[in-house]
Amino acid sequence: MSFLGRIAEKTSRLSCLRLMSVYPTHYVEPIVQKDKQQDQKNDLSKLYHVPIKAAVNKSSDTIFHDDTKHKMINYITKKGNSALARTLLSKTLELIKRTQTEHMNLAKGEKTTINTNPETLLQQAVENCRPLLQVTAIKRGGVTYQVPVPITTKRSYFLAMKWLLEAAREKERKVSLPEKLAWEILDAAHGQGRVIKRKDDLHRQCESNRAYAHYRWS
Amino acid sequence: MKMIRNRFGSLTRVSAQLQRHVQQMSTNAAASPAEGATISEFRTAVSNPGEHSAMQVAKFYTIPAEQKKQIFSGGGLPKQYEQQIKTFTEACLMVRNPALELLQYIKDGDLTKPVVRYVLYGENGTGKTLTMAHVLHYGALNDFLLVHVPWAPNWMKRPKEASNAAGQEGMIDLPFDAAAWLVHFKAQNGPLLQRLQLKTSKEYVWSKRESTPAGSSLIELVEHGIARIKYASETTAALIAELKQLSTAGQCKVMVAIDGFNAFFHPVTRIFSDNKQLVTPDRVTLTQPFLDITNYDWTNGVCVLSVDKIAMTEGYMDSYMPRYLLGKEGFEHLDPFVPIHVENYTDKEFHSYINYYLDRHWINKTPQGFEEQLKFMSNKNPYSLMQLVRAL
Repeated sequence: MSFLGRIAEKTSRLSCLRLMSVYPTHYVEPIVQKDKQQDQKNDLSKLYHVPIKAAVNKSSDTIFHDDTKHKMINYITKKGNSALARTLLSKTLELIKRTQTEHMNLAKGEKTTINTNPETLLQQAVENCRPLLQVTAIKRGGVTYQVPVPITTKRSYFLAMKWLLEAAREKERKVSLPEKLAWEILDAAHGQGRVIKRKDDLHRQCESNRAYAHYRWS
Repeated sequence: MKMIRNRFGSLTRVSAQLQRHVQQMSTNAAASPAEGATISEFRTAVSNPGEHSAMQVAKFYTIPAEQKKQIFSGGGLPKQYEQQIKTFTEACLMVRNPALELLQYIKDGDLTKPVVRYVLYGENGTGKTLTMAHVLHYGALNDFLLVHVPWAPNWMKRPKEASNAAGQEGMIDLPFDAAAWLVHFKAQNGPLLQRLQLKTSKEYVWSKRESTPAGSSLIELVEHGIARIKYASETTAALIAELKQLSTAGQCKVMVAIDGFNAFFHPVTRIFSDNKQLVTPDRVTLTQPFLDITNYDWTNGVCVLSVDKIAMTEGYMDSYMPRYLLGKEGFEHLDPFVPIHVENYTDKEFHSYINYYLDRHWINKTPQGFEEQLKFMSNKNPYSLMQLVRAL
């Protein structure tokens, strides 16, 4: 026991901040995709003496990989059942593609305007749903104010995907998740639907609470 | 790899040209869409399965909408394939070797001899049902009466309703399934039955008041079965016995196509009898007529059967070979038969299918080497390929 205490003492003396990762902060992320390696070929010399994190064992360089898709699968997952999440998302993408392809085949004339690529549609939907600001509760003089604050890019992506998924999970029992999610994604990709409305509502609230903005720093 | 593909490409181009020449020469060129219209390498304009030859291998032909509706409205194409047809707004089938082989046998066969049984077998998802669909299309166009069971295990695994048979002790009737089959039979053969004017040979007495007199047409028999669902199973038996007699007498040609035939020889079904025991398939009244018509004691017909692993239940799905799936009894029932192995795609077929998917905008992601990756991951198995590309 005593030696564990000593280690703890040592680490706390070395760095005041306890890291959650096994890697120290100067380790960089690995580049898994071959085409990305090709793109950054010229910068690789900078990495000669930089330690690199090991690639996680589920990262891959397949045509099935897409970063947004991967993130979305992680958010859909419940209780670690990511195999199920993967099938749900691929069913969703299939449904999106099915509706779009059907539209395209039935459309007269302008066929190329319809996007049948479900992955770009998903990305488009997520981009459209990203909020710019959010409100946070700050207590000043016994009163809680909803103060608009800027958010990081990462969190905006998180919120967009979370909202899409929340909208999809709010459904009748008879409707399957892929069906509803496909509709939400298609709606959001075209700039309409409930998720876009939710984002607009948040923006409106931030706008109306702009007078409280200074509580962020004062 | 690339070199090989190029060679295939040039081959297909050459064959396409050859085909065009043949069409110009032959006077009975099948309804080719608009002369001079460009046809892609992976498509063929020959929409009559009777004219398909090695030249059209790995190419897609389109089944006209009204024919598709007539033949396959009651089943016969896998559900996911139906979905695909709806999405692509065209019913396309690939001309593949097993179907060509089978068609060749049927064309060369002597109809005056006892019927030949052809058994399609192969791994899961290699296209047994679609091969059968191709042959059915041929049969429908060449005046065969189709006795088609889209998926026999449905009767043994999930019947709509099971009741005790009236006449026979200890037998189980599946009235709704039998009636559904009769509807399917009528839909497939309605026009042909009208034309042939087939008559029943003897009187069938269903109950005290109901009977079908001798010399009434087969359509009346079928319609009676559909209207009086209680007697649908008996009607099916009567109909099949009549068909056997009529075809032996040379009045019609019959093509029997039963998908998942080994379900008739499965050790148990999922139907409960009165004393809560699972019954065996031979105690279901629908089994008997279809075993009867796959016998070789009649002429003027062909039997196309498929044995399938997924027609069985767990514990009986170790191999896809006919001997294993049919069991001793079933194998002896069918012996001698002509086995036809349905295999995974060849390289050429695979390439053609990818092209088709690209043409239909079903694959949207085409980074370098995607085809190789799909080939590797699906092992060129048609069903796996369909599953893999669904989210691309």
